[in-house]
Parts: sequence; C-alpha cells; structure tokens
Amino acid sequence: MSELLRVSGLQVHFPIRRALGDVVRGRAASAVRAVDGIDLSIQEGEVLALVGESGSGKTTTGRVIVKLTRQTAGRVTFDGQDVTDLWGTRRLRAYRRRVQLIFQDPYETLDPKQTIHDFVAEPLEVNHIGRSAAEREVMIASALEAAGLRPAATYASRHPHELSGGQRQRVVIAGALAVGPELVVADEPVSMLDVSIRTELLRLMLDLRKERHLTYLFITHDLSIAWVIADRIAVMYLGKIMEIGPANRVISVPRHPYTAALVSVAPSPEPPAPGERAKRTILVGETPDASAIPAGCRFNTRCPLVFDRCRVEEPPLIDLGDGQSAACWLAEQATSTGGIADMLPNARRPLGLASPAAQRLASQAAL
Amino acid sequence: MTEQPIPAMLPLSPADIRGRRQWPLPKLADPNAPLLEVRDLKTHFRLGRAWVRAVDGVSFGLADGEALGIAGESACGKTTTALSLVQLLPGNGKIRGGSVELFGIDLVQKSERAMQRYRWREISMVFQGAMNALNPVIRVRDQIAEPIQYRLDQPEAAARQRAIDLLDMVGIPRKRADAYPHELSGGMRQRAMIAMALACDPAIVIGDEPTTALDVMVQAQILDLLERLRRDLGLSLILITHDLSVLAETCDRVLVMYAGRVAEEGPVRRIFTAPRHPYTRKLVGSFPNLHTDRRSLAVIQGQPPDLLTPPPGCRFAPRCDFAMPVCTEVVPPEVRFSDGVRVACHLFPTSDIATVGGSTLEGSTLGDMTQR
Repeated sequence: MSELLRVSGLQVHFPIRRALGDVVRGRAASAVRAVDGIDLSIQEGEVLALVGESGSGKTTTGRVIVKLTRQTAGRVTFDGQDVTDLWGTRRLRAYRRRVQLIFQDPYETLDPKQTIHDFVAEPLEVNHIGRSAAEREVMIASALEAAGLRPAATYASRHPHELSGGQRQRVVIAGALAVGPELVVADEPVSMLDVSIRTELLRLMLDLRKERHLTYLFITHDLSIAWVIADRIAVMYLGKIMEIGPANRVISVPRHPYTAALVSVAPSPEPPAPGERAKRTILVGETPDASAIPAGCRFNTRCPLVFDRCRVEEPPLIDLGDGQSAACWLAEQATSTGGIADMLPNARRPLGLASPAAQRLASQAAL
Repeated sequence: MTEQPIPAMLPLSPADIRGRRQWPLPKLADPNAPLLEVRDLKTHFRLGRAWVRAVDGVSFGLADGEALGIAGESACGKTTTALSLVQLLPGNGKIRGGSVELFGIDLVQKSERAMQRYRWREISMVFQGAMNALNPVIRVRDQIAEPIQYRLDQPEAAARQRAIDLLDMVGIPRKRADAYPHELSGGMRQRAMIAMALACDPAIVIGDEPTTALDVMVQAQILDLLERLRRDLGLSLILITHDLSVLAETCDRVLVMYAGRVAEEGPVRRIFTAPRHPYTRKLVGSFPNLHTDRRSLAVIQGQPPDLLTPPPGCRFAPRCDFAMPVCTEVVPPEVRFSDGVRVACHLFPTSDIATVGGSTLEGSTLGDMTQR
C-alpha cells in the first residue's frame, strides 16, 4: 500500500469581521480557528474515519481536501503531487475526477426536477468523460447498478421524490462513482437515514471499496458508525486531532479521555439490569467557541482528568506504538487494559483487547 | 467535572406521583384508573378518495412514572400514534377508531375546545427540530411563560418566574433565559423545548426523536436530563425513535411498531436480549455496537409496505426470513407471554401463560429457534 493523501500542518482560520466599534477601541482581529494544525495520511485502499462533534473541524478538513475551502496554512499532497495551490475549475478538473465528495443530506444534494439519469450523467458531461453518448449510458447504468439500484433502467427515469431516503443516498453514491474516483470523501453519508438502512449503505460502501479500489475519508460524529466502517479512526476536537490509531485500538484501548468519554456514551450491548445504571462519562457543558480556544490543552475545560499542566501547556500527539497516538499528558501512563478509561471516574470500561484471535478478527477490515 | 451519578431508579409509587401534582386532576378523572390506556387506535390519512392506514389497531398502556419507548423505521406510524394522543394531526388525518383514555377519560371523544384542557397540561410533547418548534422572535423565557400564564391562569410575573426556574432545572443558566432561540446551541434549544414541555406540569411528556439531530455527547446529556426529570418530577415518558439504542438505558418498556401495527412489546431487557418477532430481532441487530464484532450487523432487506393497500396477513411477511404460507394470509394475533412480552407473529401462536403458568421462557425466543 502506498500513501494516497497526505495533509500536513493544515490550518483553516475564518476571520471574524470587526465591528467599527472594535476597530476604534483597537481590539485585535480574531478568527474562528476551525482547523488548527492537523496531520493526516491515508493509504491507498484504506478507510480513515474522522470522528468529532459539531464544531470539531471535521467537515472543514474534508472540504479542504476536495478543494472547496482554502486552507490558511499547511500542505495537501495527493498521490505524490502537491495540490495545495491548485485552484480554479479548469485546473482542478483532473483532481476532481479522482477525488469525489458525498454529502450528508440526499434530499438537498439531488435536484428535485432532475431525473436520476441526468444527475449521474452531469459529472460525466462536465468532465468530458466517455467518448460517445452510448459509452456514457453504459457508465451511468453501471454506476447505478454498482450503487445497488438494479436494474438501472427502472430507476433512471425517476425523480428524487419517487425514491426513499436510502435510495436517494444510493443515487448520490452512484453520481460520485460515475467519474471513477480513487478517493471518496464521505461527509456523514448515513446520518440522515434510519438506523436499519445505515447498515446496508455502509456495507455497500465497503463492497464498492473492493470492487472499485476506493479509498475513503469517512466523516462522522458517531463513533459507532466509524467502528463499523473504518480501518483507522482519528478523533477531532476543536480543530485538532486528539487521538488517532487503528479502529480496534482507539475503541478498545482509548488513550485520550475524550475518546474514552465518546466510547462510554456509545449505545450499549444490552440495557442495564433493573435498578442499575450504565456507567457513562457524560462530559459537562459544550464544546467551546472555536474563536476562543482554551489555553493549554484545548480539551482541559471539559476533561475529567485535568491537572495543572493541561491548563498551560498543550500536549502534542504522542506516539504510543502500534500506530496509535494521543494528544494527552496522561496517554503514556494509561497502559492498563482499558486504556485511559480505567482512570475515569464512573466510566463504562471498554472491553480491552482480549485474545490474539479476537484482535485478529477486529483488525480484519471487511464486514 | 462529571455530574453526580443518578441513584437507582424511581423510588416513587404511583400514589406518590399523583399526590405530588401541583394542579388538580381533570374533573372527570377517575383517581384509580390507569394513567394512559390506548385501545385499538386507528388513525388514517385521507389521500384522494382512499385512506392511508398509518396507525391500524395499536394498543398500549402507560403507568404512572413509567418510560415507554416506541421504536420503528420511518413511516411505521410512531409519530402518528403520538400526534393522535394529543390530537395534533395534520388536516387530512383522522382518528377512525379506538380510544385514548387518560385517567379513564376518553380523549378521542373530546371536542377541540375540550382537548385544550388536556393538551400541554396533561400530555405535552418535545419535537425533534427545536429550531422549528420554537418561535425565533420571542425570547425563550417568554415562550415558556406563555402557556403557564394562559393555561394555568397564573399572573405574568409568576409565570415568568416559573419559566426561569424551569430553564434552570433543565440546565439553562438564569442569565441565558432571555436569549432568543438562535442564540442557543442545538443542545440548549432542545433543553428549552423540554422546559417548555414541562411548563404546565404535565403527567406525560412525549419525546418525538428528541435527540436525533444532536451530537452523541449532547444526546447523552439530554437523555440523562430526561431521566433525571422523570425521577424528580415523577413524569411518565413516551420516547419515540428509529434508534433502538436510545431506548436501552432510558425506558422500562419498548413497543416495536411495524407498518402501523404493534410487532412486539415488552420489558426493555426482554426486547433487547430475547427478541421474539423477526422484525425486532433485525432492529436490535442493526444498530452498530462498539462491544460486538462489527461484521455481525443485521440488514433488513426491502422496504416497508405501502399503507394505502397493505398486504393481507402479516405486514412484515414480504421482508421476513421466516415467512410461512400462513403469514401472507392471516393477520397474526397479539399473544401475551408470561415474561410480559406481547408479540404478533405466527411463529409464536400460543401463549405460555395458560400452559406453563408463569415460569420464565428460556428456550422459546427466536434466537434459540434459529440456533437449532
């Protein structure tokens, strides 16, 4: 496997316009630091999940990668080429064929007046893909069928309102696939759907990865969805990566208290016994404003394990071995079976990594 | 920084709960009647000259202080059921049969004017999109004070004070009480919605997907809040969601609906650990769980039926892995079992109550059947 995408030192700051009064009073211009220095690398054929709450910068990171938002600093390298300063529709045409985006809301992505066929045909025409109309028709049909809309002919002439939510998202996937991309950035692709339909779509995406040699950057707020689909998980908070590593390690042996808290509030396998309560670490308060990021560790205002150092010095991502890193001063000490969750008060313990066989099972990518 | 853990549930008895009411019961209320009893509710929507049978014979009860979860896919009738309880159906919707008895009073028979005594004062609702449900140009505090002032006939100052107290109780600090909805975050808005639902001290609060649009951590905070309020105020809750996992830690009983009917209903632990109905089993198996093998997720093939012309027999039969010839012909009756579960499935045609007489039911769940 070779590296397909690398993001280094990425920063995206959105300046806040000062009111006249602020200028007169000499207040400094401030900015929303949506993404505040992250490094990522995605291998060919890999699924990397970017997990974080609203305001964590996960979507902005995705938008920079598909070149919809300009970075403030940092570099983006795709397949060995530096694409950081590649801008303009024409110059980006080749890049956009190779990197596609799937949005969250299929109801808004699709044009209600456009047929399914035309939606999928549009990217082909815009990008001058396919030598003849007939060749394009074949590509459209194959994309629809690959997305599970079989037979394609029965769906092609329909309009979005004639389809269910799950089918609409399949159409969106077909549109992204039609141009034959290598990297697909999927931003919350199943969040709008019923839980029972999510599984089907996640499976479809994993099947397509094999068939079409895709690589995914999968953006979600839900750790349990990341767990289903991802090889590696990166947990973001307020514009920085808090923890990154193989999915099974991040879930089973979290080394950052934020990850551990997210694991603890994830759905439980079974309801607690009568009269008992599940052990959860519910963080108090809300994510701070990205224009006023706390000094020191940015998680310190909500961290159950905060101590003096956290308030003054921001921890770097510390390499913990086995591909896992965490940005926490306590990460290196948290070596017990449940990771840092063992140090949290009142937390539901992750299961820890059990037998080598179980580890192997968990590390196998396919569903 | 974590909040104090909540001690074990509900020390209150039903008598306690009714004794704590600040405002009197409705005049016709029978003090010994069950809190809520829904029988054979049929709510249909007019579509041209036909009726879409969105809710088609649903029965359930709710006891004082109990939390009931209603789960199912989109369009299974769960929201319609809730809206029928408070009679807030869209113009083309009509309750065409059955009864909704609150304290023994049938609400279906009530006129719109008479309903106002019950809606919000006895049964209130928290909707999914807090931004759509709140008025954007009125301060949150004043929106909550309004029903207190008019429904409970309180002076303006007292209503406003109660609104501020309610906001404080749901975790919105006093200094934020005069904010407008857009100045609050999604989680805060949902808290404000909950405060508003509590304004008139209702006996029942219905949450229709109250956490669906929220981040996972905020979702956990809101569910925690609902549980805390339920204990402190002796509320009875009905939580409606497509996500069964939301119900696991908050509900006593779960009702699984499919295509306008009850598929299975029972104590939450039985529903999650020993589901009988094939549909329940699929639903339970389809939510991602960090604690199991991630490849074991269940998929429910196909789509729910068109309720304009629902299939004869069991409505789940076309998607069911266990469908038998009888399933496509005969509607499965609801059968009650001794562990408190009620199932409508031909795989479970006879109850164990008469024959086994109260023993537990190990070995008779669908999971066990399929292992053989």
